[in-house]
Amino acid sequence: MRIRPGSRRPPPILSAGTGPATVEVAAGEVLVRIRGLRFRRGTRIIFDGADMDIRRGRVTAIMGPSGTGKTTLLKLIGGQLRPEAGTVEVAGLNVHALSRSDLYRLRTRMGMLFQSGALLTDLSVFENVAYPLREHTRLPETMIRKLVLLKLEAVGLRGAQDLRPSELSGGMARRVALARAIALDPMMILYDEPFTGQDPISLGVLVKLIRSLNDASGLTSIVVSHDVQETAAIADEIYLISNGQVMGHGTPAALRASESAWVRQFMDGLPDGPVRFHYPAPDLAQDLFAHA
Amino acid sequence: MPDLLARLGRIGLAILERLGRAHLLLFAILGGFPDLAVRPWLLVQQIYVVGVLSVVIVTVSGVFVGMVLALQGYYVLSQFAAAQSLGVMVAASLVRELGPVVTALLFAGRAGSALTAEIGLMKATEQLSGLEMMAVDPVRRILTPRFVAGFLSMPMLAALFSAVGILGGYFVGVGLLGVDDGAFWSQMQAKIDLRDDLVNGVIKSLAFGIVCTWIALFEGYDALPTSEGVSRATTRTVVHSALAVLGLDFVLTALMFGG
Repeated sequence: MRIRPGSRRPPPILSAGTGPATVEVAAGEVLVRIRGLRFRRGTRIIFDGADMDIRRGRVTAIMGPSGTGKTTLLKLIGGQLRPEAGTVEVAGLNVHALSRSDLYRLRTRMGMLFQSGALLTDLSVFENVAYPLREHTRLPETMIRKLVLLKLEAVGLRGAQDLRPSELSGGMARRVALARAIALDPMMILYDEPFTGQDPISLGVLVKLIRSLNDASGLTSIVVSHDVQETAAIADEIYLISNGQVMGHGTPAALRASESAWVRQFMDGLPDGPVRFHYPAPDLAQDLFAHA
Repeated sequence: MPDLLARLGRIGLAILERLGRAHLLLFAILGGFPDLAVRPWLLVQQIYVVGVLSVVIVTVSGVFVGMVLALQGYYVLSQFAAAQSLGVMVAASLVRELGPVVTALLFAGRAGSALTAEIGLMKATEQLSGLEMMAVDPVRRILTPRFVAGFLSMPMLAALFSAVGILGGYFVGVGLLGVDDGAFWSQMQAKIDLRDDLVNGVIKSLAFGIVCTWIALFEGYDALPTSEGVSRATTRTVVHSALAVLGLDFVLTALMFGG
């Protein structure tokens, strides 16, 4: 790992000035380093000393049951939330120690695909994808048009450039959001539940897109999901999280072969195991006849 | 008793916390003013949405309020043989009080509630988070243009309200009740003062514009990101704006005309 000022891939189109000193990370080395992460919402502990390493150039999945803090983890990596303790480093930068302007500069090198797509509803598909280019570059309009069309072509929606977000299906909206997320050629993309609520065709398209974009553009992808089959099909590594801890970590094959009862229950989707189906409650008979 | 005190304390702290958040948001909004110089079209767009689209409701309301003022005023003034002063009464009532106040109440109901719902839904659908992750400050890009559009539009809408209200009063007073045309206008021209009446009315409507738009934006930005949260925030916007306008109107009137 070598320390250099500026970005790994200097973006000549960026107009925001020079970025903070970042670490140039070689493929396979750690791009996102999380140490001793503690975070709580009210009295509920979401992360309790979690450690994770996300390696450059790989598709890393963060999986776990609903409500375990997967989306929260993405917001912590993106600096939208602040941890109670611990550090989150992205390309050598402690995200939560950065000034606002440095954090925004770092975010120009991250893309995020939200669960809902988060497209700006008053703009067309074309304008949504052009938005980050217009905000952060001084490119001429002809160049912006070409870039937008290329990004839309990459997600197969060049023909939908004039549609409004309300005219798109859920799968199309996420593909447009993906085109917007890659508009500035980021070093890393964060995917928040990209497969939820997709029909089989859209789902297959998204699965392929995530993998092919990662490989073709030399990206690093962090995919938050609880869809085991789809995620395991494209992930190089998986982190299984629950109760604020990392319950399992490894390649999909290694996790499938794991002897941990928790990991087996999650990967195989078993109803019984360490994770209880029922929310804690008093005895059923006692509850039923309490007022008899 | 200790429970009651504890509950009152919690309510008080919650109110103070919300006020603190509202002020922090206001400072952040004000910090976005330089951005408007770079992107003036954002302001123009919002003046259209907030101001121009409120013209119809303000115009129609202004005409009817002016007509009612003339009818009621004529009834009272004619008992003192002062019906010829109807023009002054209608104009003074509109320019000093009813123009700014009723326009602000209409603004809160039409544009304020729309602003809250828009910002709240942008939050619920993660559009604001999306902007943040695109390294775009949503306060500066979304809230600041709406805030400036709100307080610039209000005086213009209030002026329109007063103008069409006077025309409505003229129609009823001169056209239907037989007040002398010349007396209606000449007494108005002689008695309405530029500084005491018009300027003070403009100051009032500027203050109402700032308060109404601030409340609307804060409620939207602070709303729970659910349909129920946005719905409650929208209701709060209308209620709080109305109360703030009426309370502020008393304070400003006391300062301006209290002697």
